[in-house]
Amino acid sequence: MKFGKFLLSRIATFLLVIFIGVTTVFFVPRLMPNDPVEAMIGQMTSNAGSMSPEAVEQMRESMNSLFGLDGSVMHQYLDFFKRVVISHDFGPSLSAYPTPVMQMIARALPWTLGLMLTTTVLSWLIGNLIGLLAGFRKDKPLSKFLEGIAILMYPIPYYIFALLLIMFFCYLLPVFPLSFVVQGEGFNWVHIKSILWNCFLPALSLILVGFGWWVISMKTMVSNANEEEYVKFARLKGLHEGRIMRRYVMPNVMLPQVTNLALQIGGIFNGALVTEILFGFPGLGSLIYQGILQSDYNLIMGTITISVISVALTTFVIDLLYPFLDPRIRYS
Amino acid sequence: MRRKGKQILAAATAAALLLSGCGGGAGESKEGTSEQTAASGDKMTDVGTPRKDTLIVDMLSGTQTDPDNFNPYMTGCVAMDCGLHQLLYPCLWEADTMNGEQTCDLAADFPEAMDDTNTKYRFHLREGITWSDGVEFTAEDVEFTSDILSSTEEFSWGSWYKSFVKSMKAVDKYTVEMELVEPNVKPQQKLGVIVFGNNFKVLPKHIWEKEDPATFKYTDPLSLGPYTLSKRDAQGNWFLYEKREDWDKSDVGVIDGEPKPQYVLFKYFGSEEKRVMAAVNNEIDILQDISPESWDILKEKNPNAKCWTEEFPYAIPDDPCERGISFNCSNEYYSNRDVRWALTLSMDIKQVSMATFGGKLKFSPLAVPPTTALTDVYQKPMAEWLKTYAFEDGYKPFNENTAKEMVELLKTEGVENLPTTDEEITDIFGIGWWKYDTDKAAELLQKNGFTQKDGQWMTPEGEPWEIIILAPADFEIESMRLAFAVADAWSKFGVKAEVKQQDSSTFWTSYATGNYDTGAYWPFCGLIPDLTENIQTWHEKYILPNGENAAGNKERYANEELSAAIDKLQTLEPDDPEVNKTVEEMLKIFVDEMPAIPMFGTAKFVPVVETYWTGFQDSENPFEGPWWWWSQFRFYTTKIEAAK
Repeated sequence: MKFGKFLLSRIATFLLVIFIGVTTVFFVPRLMPNDPVEAMIGQMTSNAGSMSPEAVEQMRESMNSLFGLDGSVMHQYLDFFKRVVISHDFGPSLSAYPTPVMQMIARALPWTLGLMLTTTVLSWLIGNLIGLLAGFRKDKPLSKFLEGIAILMYPIPYYIFALLLIMFFCYLLPVFPLSFVVQGEGFNWVHIKSILWNCFLPALSLILVGFGWWVISMKTMVSNANEEEYVKFARLKGLHEGRIMRRYVMPNVMLPQVTNLALQIGGIFNGALVTEILFGFPGLGSLIYQGILQSDYNLIMGTITISVISVALTTFVIDLLYPFLDPRIRYS
Repeated sequence: MRRKGKQILAAATAAALLLSGCGGGAGESKEGTSEQTAASGDKMTDVGTPRKDTLIVDMLSGTQTDPDNFNPYMTGCVAMDCGLHQLLYPCLWEADTMNGEQTCDLAADFPEAMDDTNTKYRFHLREGITWSDGVEFTAEDVEFTSDILSSTEEFSWGSWYKSFVKSMKAVDKYTVEMELVEPNVKPQQKLGVIVFGNNFKVLPKHIWEKEDPATFKYTDPLSLGPYTLSKRDAQGNWFLYEKREDWDKSDVGVIDGEPKPQYVLFKYFGSEEKRVMAAVNNEIDILQDISPESWDILKEKNPNAKCWTEEFPYAIPDDPCERGISFNCSNEYYSNRDVRWALTLSMDIKQVSMATFGGKLKFSPLAVPPTTALTDVYQKPMAEWLKTYAFEDGYKPFNENTAKEMVELLKTEGVENLPTTDEEITDIFGIGWWKYDTDKAAELLQKNGFTQKDGQWMTPEGEPWEIIILAPADFEIESMRLAFAVADAWSKFGVKAEVKQQDSSTFWTSYATGNYDTGAYWPFCGLIPDLTENIQTWHEKYILPNGENAAGNKERYANEELSAAIDKLQTLEPDDPEVNKTVEEMLKIFVDEMPAIPMFGTAKFVPVVETYWTGFQDSENPFEGPWWWWSQFRFYTTKIEAAK
């Protein structure tokens, strides 16, 4: 019964968060001082150079009608909600009309999921492992060395790091490609190898920059846990250090890291904006960037809504799972 | 903050690129990993073609969102400059940019009036051209295209088309009769290329008549040009074109001969830094716009790289839109001609040029770009008038020595290989510009109630005068830098000037809605002497109140005399001697009123790398301008040769 009540409250919160998030995503782009039709016309006239004002006016009217931007904002809002809730459709992209936004997201999503899931989990594993060792065996030279590397890399802005990787491995020592060109199609080794080859540097840049924070946070928590009474008691009992680390320290410091990992996984639907742009990676980050640059309302709404739902969903799942992970928390 | 970040990024890149030189650099031995070696020993591109047979071209518009959509009339279709209009979709009439005239492409002649109403015309099509599937190109295709443009509501450009063209009818296989909605004496300017390209693309009737034009993506487009689309990247980063076996039945084949490269690969490499690295590594043959700093690096790192001129200034100043500062003439202070002139005279144009592009710019005092062709037609002939032009009080603002002074300034900066003769100096730096005269500028402001307090100019209301200059962010680097240079100049003069960078969408919306005081826009364009199509936007009938999207006259400048001249220009045939006279009168009005400050011909750094291909156009071999993103590109392919 208590669980049922808890579940209902969490579902209500989940739905409310999504409603507020999606509504915000609808209105915020419309408050910006730009207009997708004007952006498109601006580009066309700056390229064509010779379009008469009459032509521009005719095109403006036609595009407003085509994109469904000629009604009131409330009318557009209701249409949008109806479309998203009933048919799970964000409409056509305005900058790549008439391609449906869902199709663009479906094309970009596997790239983003592949890159971000892999790099998030790997940097979490590597970072926490090093942090655990650095905190538990802080006097060992290897621990100090690994921690030093993490501390050194953590403050480097990730775009600088990505640029340096490009500089060294695509230009000075041209091992990896400068441009993102995937060869082959379908499920075969040429295609898979090409994907791995193209994704290696973006992944490396995300892992190297991402694992520093995990090292630092884990090391701090392990150092604190090391001073706890129950750890001291375990040592006095003569337990092996490895057992103390695995059974006494790790379970107590892992909870916040698991929570953060879950939240980061929720956030991977945002893509890795700068990394994607620098490496020409065809993920969701690039789509969001394109949507904002072109004032493509539907594309912005589609990509951000996916992100809002994924973060809300992850938080919802964590809320439900936490009592199972942490015995101190109960549904009551 | 954002700008600082970009500066750090740029500095880091430049430093790393330069540092790489210390270690031997990327040099010619490193061909890049995107190229592999075939069993024959030939280098292969990463799309599987022999490198020596492939011309690799930078893709201006970047990644294409939907690489399967080639319907040229669908709003939001794949950008034309990824090779489509350069290689596949010829226009009826093309442009010869060096001579500043239109030429015939798919059409064999220019429209000939059928009566004196100027609404009925006849033109003929070039014979011997076929679509890439072998079907003959005929007047039926033109009529069909015209019909679907008029009847398909989803085609945004079609909505304009049907307001201009009533019908096109195929009289026989090669003859088209066209009826216009309203009289127009030069329809070829609306339906043919005068700058960049034209939206009227003829479609193959035998393919399209079976499809719904509103939804048909035309994924496998047919070509009337010498190449066909062979492969594309599913992510939209590259498009590979292959020479047609029957290239002699394409427009270029019929007009000009055989294109040399077997393959043309339009490819997007990413940021400018990556594009330059690719050029250093010989992974790209033709680069779109880069900054002068990037050119300096490329020049040093790859001896095969070359720009328009072999020595200073390297860039070509023939872009058809000159750069300058637009005023919103409906706003309080900028509606005043004296204020606009004061701001013009308060700038040291030489310093602005140095700060913008290291002094590699051609001055333009007139509202017409100083291209090679238009300099001869307008800039040079009007130099004498500019020297005598005076304000009502007799003050003569023109400085005919600006170009010479620029050369002297560059000498002090250690720049070598500068022009020496008057003619060379004029050709490179222009006919002159306005004086840097802060005293006169101050006089003009004081006359209008402005005052100076502690070096800062105050408005007639006694408030500190602040100017915001809108500038492009992350695109159009020259205008972006120009805005900062002008802000520095005005700040030095005592006006608090601030640059506000905007992404392209916001930048254009601000312009159209009049949500700006001043902006680094490019209001004066032109390529052929008949400027009707470019200058007509200044007609006062297009003025709308601030807040409303204006289709033309975004400076909101009203001038009856100018509007009357535009009306007159629209009635003149392109080769009527009255055209040049009328344009000259208009240019004089622009000088006198200064509704926007023309400053520089746009200098384009659009280098090529001659490791694999040679014979590109340059100042020594100017068969055309280096407009890689324009529709005329396919005509260049017959001139270039494989490097030995």
